Amino acid sequence: MTQIFTVTDLNQRIADRLENDPRLHDLWARGEVSNYIHHRSGHRYFTLKDQGSSISCVLFKGSALSMDFEPKDGKNVMVFGDIAVYRPQGRVQLVARALKQDGGLGFRHLQLEALKKKLAAEGLFAQERKRELPLYPERIGIVTSPQGAALRDVLRTLGPYPARIILSPAQVQGDGAEESVASAISALRGRADVIIVCRGGGSTEDLWCFNSEIVARAIFACDVPVISAVGHETDVTIADYVADMRAATPTAAARMAAADVEQIKEDLRTAQVRIMRALWTNLERKEERLEYLTQNVSAKRMYSLARDSRQRLDILCQNLDAAQAEKMQRLKSRLELAKGRLLAVGPRATLQRGYAIARSDKGLILKTQDVQPGEEIELILGKGRLRCRVLECRDDEEEAT
Amino acid sequence: MKKEQIGLEEALDSLEQIVEVLEEGKMTLEESLDLYEKGMTLVKLCNGRLESAQKRIECLTGELPPDLS
Repeated sequence: MTQIFTVTDLNQRIADRLENDPRLHDLWARGEVSNYIHHRSGHRYFTLKDQGSSISCVLFKGSALSMDFEPKDGKNVMVFGDIAVYRPQGRVQLVARALKQDGGLGFRHLQLEALKKKLAAEGLFAQERKRELPLYPERIGIVTSPQGAALRDVLRTLGPYPARIILSPAQVQGDGAEESVASAISALRGRADVIIVCRGGGSTEDLWCFNSEIVARAIFACDVPVISAVGHETDVTIADYVADMRAATPTAAARMAAADVEQIKEDLRTAQVRIMRALWTNLERKEERLEYLTQNVSAKRMYSLARDSRQRLDILCQNLDAAQAEKMQRLKSRLELAKGRLLAVGPRATLQRGYAIARSDKGLILKTQDVQPGEEIELILGKGRLRCRVLECRDDEEEAT
Repeated sequence: MKKEQIGLEEALDSLEQIVEVLEEGKMTLEESLDLYEKGMTLVKLCNGRLESAQKRIECLTGELPPDLS
């Protein structure tokens, strides 16, 4: 027999049926928030939805007090509560008692995971593919927004490093960002030695374009190493997986891209000191000074080099800090010493004073045993040489006694 | 050595090599003087490149923001 309900009775009956079903109590539901309204009364009204369906939700003021975040449209959440029927409208709704942020398992995140798997299978993230960054790049390409703080951070960190900096502007969030970033990356082909792709921090939505396939493929196709720096330390995007290097921040990316100028200058100073020291050590160690003169290396050149070195040392001393200056001072006195010794052993001055160098075919004659009577020897004078014959070999002691 | 074309990286590499060879001390004086001069030329070249580092920023499309140009 057919029963005729009033609307009120009907809704009451539906309500009874649903609200008494234990399976519709103390339940968790997962979805995306939309139409979120924070009512003046303190209650929150919103719709929870996924790809195929939606349900009205209400969160009363009392339950909202314990909530540690404020949901907003587009957020993925987990809702804990009971099914109830709003009788005046016959509307089924979820009365929320608690809300939790849903980390990473929303629809978009599932898509993201799928894309990651696909790109990984194609080898875009392969470790073997990562390229070494150049130590001293001549051209640094930057893909970012010309207005952003990220660009300024990078430029400030690069400081006076002597490279051409080529900005390839991109729109880094919002509609069309993916295409913009991808084509800005491609535009740097053949124009840079290393590329920084960066943007500052933002919400997951803001950073989303760096999770797109088209950006991933643009980075993969780059002809030079790419450093990615998207958002903060904790934000890791697909772009970071594909890039040759991932930097936590734009500033860190700039540090990776180029050497520190002060460090290079320091290295140069050290190299100069080492070269000079090595040269003088060679000079002292070799004891080849006479041979050196006879081998037609011009003494003039030697002395002018010594002068140059001293000047360089003076300049260097001014540049170095106190500790190094002291080191330089030691070097300088060694230099003086070497120069003095060079002058002293250089035979010319001595020869000018009336001394002579005697030598035979076997070399310098330093003692009587070096020659035999009758042997032909050579005397080198202050000016010119003499060919002589030895008449007698007599030892010093006899004369002394 | 073409001074105009040699890059910072290349220059620093050769400088490092020269320092090492010189410190080994196995060559004649003539050779070590040559190396010394070569080394000093490289130092000068590198310093020059570092000093002349006017920030040269270019923009591929559009114009640079006024605070950067």
